[in-house]
Amino acid sequence: MLNLISLVLLFPLIGTAINGLIGKKLRKETVGYIACGAIGMSFFVAILVFFGLLQLPPESRVFEKQLFNWIESGSFKAAAGLQVDPLSSLMILIITGVGFLIHIYSIGYMHHDKGYHRYFCYLNLFTFSMLLLVLGNNFLLMFIGWEAVGLCSYLLIGFWFEKKSASDAAKKAFIVNRVGDFGFALGIMLIFITFDTIDFTGVFHAASQGNIAVGSFTVTIITLLLFMGATGKSAQIPLYTWLPDAMEGPTPVSALIHAATMVTAGVYMIARCNVLFMLSPFTMTVVACIGAATALFAASIGLVQNDIKRVLAYSTVSQLGYMFLACGVGAFTAGVFHLMTHAFFKALLFLGSGSVIHALSGEQDMRKMGGLKKHIPITYRTFLVGTVAIAGIPPFAGFFSKDEILLEAFVRGNFIYWAVGALAALFTAFYMFRLLIMTFHGKSRVDHHAMEHLHESPKNMTVPLKILAVLALLGGFLGIPGASAINGFLSPVFGEHGHVETHGAEACGSHAACLPYLMMVISTGIAIAGIYLAYLMYIKSPELPKKLAERFSLIYKLLLNKYYIDEIYDALFVNPIKKISLLLWKRVDAQLIDGTVNGVAGFVRGFGSVLRLSQTGYVRNYAFYIVAGCIFIIVFVVFGK
Amino acid sequence: MTFNILSILPILVLAGFGMLVLVVDVMSARKLGEKNLLAYLSLAGIVIAAIVSRNSTATTLFSFNETFTIDNYALFFNILFLLSTGLVILISHSYIKREDINHGEYYALLMFSTIGMMLMASGADLLNIFIGLEVMSISIYILTGFKRSKLISNEASLKYFLLGAFATGFLLYGISLVYGTTGTIDLRQIASFVAGKGGVKDPLLLMGMGLIIVGLGFKVASVPFHAWVPDVYEGAPTAVTAFMSVGPKAAAFAAFMRIFLTAFGSSHYEWQKAIWILAVLTMTVGNVVAISQTNIKRMLAYSSIAHAGYLLVALVAANNMGVSGTLFYLLAYIFMNIGAFAIVIVLSQKGDVGMNIDDYAGLGFKHPMLAIAMTLFMFSMAGIPPMAGFVGKFYIFSAAIKSGYVGLAIIGVINSVISVYYYLRITVIMYMKEPVRDFHPLTISPLIVVAIAIAVVGTLHLGIFPSKVMEIAQRSILTLR
Amino acid sequence: MESYLFYIVGTIAVLAAVYLIFERNPVFCALYLIQTMVCIAVLYILLEAQFIAAVQMIVYAGAIMVLFLFVIMLLNIKGDEESKRSFPFRKIPAILMGIGLLTVICIILKSKLLQGKQDVYTVAHIESLGNTQLIGNLLFTDYLLPFEITSILLFVAAIGAIMLAKRKL
Repeated sequence: MLNLISLVLLFPLIGTAINGLIGKKLRKETVGYIACGAIGMSFFVAILVFFGLLQLPPESRVFEKQLFNWIESGSFKAAAGLQVDPLSSLMILIITGVGFLIHIYSIGYMHHDKGYHRYFCYLNLFTFSMLLLVLGNNFLLMFIGWEAVGLCSYLLIGFWFEKKSASDAAKKAFIVNRVGDFGFALGIMLIFITFDTIDFTGVFHAASQGNIAVGSFTVTIITLLLFMGATGKSAQIPLYTWLPDAMEGPTPVSALIHAATMVTAGVYMIARCNVLFMLSPFTMTVVACIGAATALFAASIGLVQNDIKRVLAYSTVSQLGYMFLACGVGAFTAGVFHLMTHAFFKALLFLGSGSVIHALSGEQDMRKMGGLKKHIPITYRTFLVGTVAIAGIPPFAGFFSKDEILLEAFVRGNFIYWAVGALAALFTAFYMFRLLIMTFHGKSRVDHHAMEHLHESPKNMTVPLKILAVLALLGGFLGIPGASAINGFLSPVFGEHGHVETHGAEACGSHAACLPYLMMVISTGIAIAGIYLAYLMYIKSPELPKKLAERFSLIYKLLLNKYYIDEIYDALFVNPIKKISLLLWKRVDAQLIDGTVNGVAGFVRGFGSVLRLSQTGYVRNYAFYIVAGCIFIIVFVVFGK
Repeated sequence: MTFNILSILPILVLAGFGMLVLVVDVMSARKLGEKNLLAYLSLAGIVIAAIVSRNSTATTLFSFNETFTIDNYALFFNILFLLSTGLVILISHSYIKREDINHGEYYALLMFSTIGMMLMASGADLLNIFIGLEVMSISIYILTGFKRSKLISNEASLKYFLLGAFATGFLLYGISLVYGTTGTIDLRQIASFVAGKGGVKDPLLLMGMGLIIVGLGFKVASVPFHAWVPDVYEGAPTAVTAFMSVGPKAAAFAAFMRIFLTAFGSSHYEWQKAIWILAVLTMTVGNVVAISQTNIKRMLAYSSIAHAGYLLVALVAANNMGVSGTLFYLLAYIFMNIGAFAIVIVLSQKGDVGMNIDDYAGLGFKHPMLAIAMTLFMFSMAGIPPMAGFVGKFYIFSAAIKSGYVGLAIIGVINSVISVYYYLRITVIMYMKEPVRDFHPLTISPLIVVAIAIAVVGTLHLGIFPSKVMEIAQRSILTLR
Repeated sequence: MESYLFYIVGTIAVLAAVYLIFERNPVFCALYLIQTMVCIAVLYILLEAQFIAAVQMIVYAGAIMVLFLFVIMLLNIKGDEESKRSFPFRKIPAILMGIGLLTVICIILKSKLLQGKQDVYTVAHIESLGNTQLIGNLLFTDYLLPFEITSILLFVAAIGAIMLAKRKL
């Protein structure tokens, strides 16, 4: 069954090819069926592969399938192979499963768009690239997938390229990601130089054999470069600015690419390279700090945003920060667990917001919503599940994963990590319920024009919402403390260091044993506090937010303008670079470089024209060249030494 | 005394079908009018020849008193030649109809020419190689002048013939000098003679070697024996241009490698220096002059000169990787070059109108599929991954580095950077300029579409999955030394 | 004796070839060509290759040259007219090249040459079998394949002649 793994990749590729080549001529229904069918079949195969893997004994749950050797030259060997292990099989389940639901949702959401086949072509291509990223058995293949998902993300953010803001956002995403990719590429080169191979098995085996000292300079540089790549793709400080802008794309795209899958690629990469990262305590500290800082920072921005999708975007950045925090303290299992639950509830929230936007004919400003509860009941109910899940109320999915991260941060890291995480959790609960209340409760602020068209979304949009709601409700039980299925499943990948055995720690004394339960109570309390605050401010006394905003106008403005980070980046990097480039262009480029290049080009062209003159068209001249060449060759061969 | 007639079965099949086409043409010309049957008949001949070529042998097999070889090397080239001829027949069908040169002789000559190529690749002595070269060349001289009513075609044919005869003189003189000094024309006996004398030191033998380089250098279009190429390529019917830019070049390289690696392999130091210079000149002149071309056929002519230069780099390296890389590159070149010419044919009109590079403006909007295919071929020729051309260049240049010719490899890479300029220019014009003309009527038929599809698949397949073909190529060159 | 004859006949052959190039009248050109062919036939005889000599006389000096002369007379070609657009100083580099090639060849011939391997077909061997019989034997044993392929070559040439020259197809 594991041999079927290439089919997982093949189906989306076929879908891309069909829709890309002849999609224009097909009927819309057919295009949709092809795209969804491709991902559906891929999902089915992914399930088969998953069960195939389960049948193996846990310690031998690694399967590699060599597809072909691309180029072989000396010690450099570029092969294409797929690797199935617990981590990648979990990832492909998430990608194809959530992807399948979002594809179905898209049929309804994109129904009126004229770029229908183009959309599905890109979406299938994205799924293919993402699967390639997680299934590749070497860094090169991973990098190819990494670049390809970046390209698809670029294409899909700029899907409505007639809108200037969309094409600007696409450009921004592309350029910011480029910075990270540069680091990733350098890291891969350094890995090849250090280990003389780029295969995961080879690199990790060499690293775990103890050839590389813990904390050695090389491995620190390698992991820092890899992490630089991760910050770009997974929108961490300082490269997170592209993600909120990326909301210019269609909402299902935001759900699939910018919440559930692509942005988690960085987390996946670090989890995949856990052997390397564990060798560098310094990098681990950097990862944890950046993760914690991003979690709090983005959550604080989310507190005051008014665009429904932007709130969710900052929430995504913040949740990704949690995952990095988990990885940074060495709790890779917790990170991947949160990745999974986050994929469920964030996809749900994005699709729900899409449904709201769809119902309101494209309105995204929450100040023009409100009271939608009775108009779109299914959306409301599923959205509520998602909100509760992300806020961290037991027994919803988000509770278990977030709680585990906070616990691990406390046990393995220090109190500060925990405190930052807990504060961010408070913010999260607050801004999510603020969003829920502003959108669905209270008085309707919808303008009457949009009111006329207000309608619940069609079945093909609500069914995926319902399924995701179930997943967001139940997904957490996979990692229930004490009997965590996911811990056991992932332990072959992460070894002993993947998670802390706190649950069986009676020997540590009663204090340590009851710590997890204490933590659960505290985090539940934090979540309820956040919810209560939101209730207080937006239902009980709606005038309170305004007062607060006036009272703390400085902070409010700071938050509303996202700490002016975009402006700071503009001032620090973009404008100086623009100025320097202007200068370079005017002085250096126009005069020096262009002069040189034009000179060289002119020389080449002039040389070419001179040579062209030799093309007289006369046979006798051509024969003359032959004789001249002949003399030259004879002299050279016979007398040359 | 072995006269294994089966060993030349592909040649016999081609000869038989060639004559069959002529007979059918005469008997049914009035009735059929369209003459589609002839194209299908020739294709059948090619396919059957390819099938009978496949009774491959792992070990070398000599026949006809050891004058004829069928080793894996010859088989590889047989398939290569048949592939190129088959593709050319596919792209010719609608073209020769458009240009009113739809004579049965066209297909027959293509097949006879292929016989010559096969003989060049399998000849175990210089005489067979020479006869093969002549059969191939004379067929192509005629094909070049096939547009009888066009002066430019006649001129090209005559030029090619005169210069070809001139170069043949050098080749023959070289062969006779080699025979005179070694007393044999059998490649393996020459090799043992040369090895017995501790390498070639005899000036007459060296001169013979130099003259053979001249003769074959003319056929592969290396500078300074290249001057005929642009004129002849431009004047010949476009489908014939496609044919002569791949088949004869591959055949000449096949003969080149067989002669120089088998017979003179033990003293490659002597000839490598000369070919080093030829390679540098060929790459540089080809690429530099290609930049200033405005006619696409002339541009492709210079590009074909440049590609000959890259292949000469592999010959200089002369190690296993270089030689098998040459085989790989030739295969890749067949796909990308015939593909490009197929698009040129589709987009030109009667009388070869629309051959200027500027005529391609806006193709990307009007005919996106054709533009994508053309972009693919141009990318491949420029050596951009993951196309076949990239992998071929990768093998060739790394072979050069392995043999210690780092300078040559650097010159090669610089040259392929230069080449990116004029290949990408076509892409830029296709996508970023407003259309200046209507592309109708397209010279299109199902056969040419099949040819383009094969070329696209081949270019991509060799670029993405090169290792299988490379393995075959590596196995094919084992019997060479 | 033989070597003197060789040098005399060889010189005549080369001189005739040079005249052939410099002569403007096509009929004279053809006659010079015949002269060269005949001289080469004599050289073959000196090399004990009587059959080839005879073939050379019959085919080249006889058939082909007669055909040449017929064509020249039928077409009534005038002497070559000097082209106005000719490459300037084209003669000087050409002569320099010719001299260069000659020098190179002379230097090579002057240098110490290796004794080549002697083939099995020595004069004694040829005389014992007979010239014609030996050629026949070789053509149908060792060189059967090139001999047969030559038929394709001739066939192609015939097609070419018809294709390119026939007025109406």
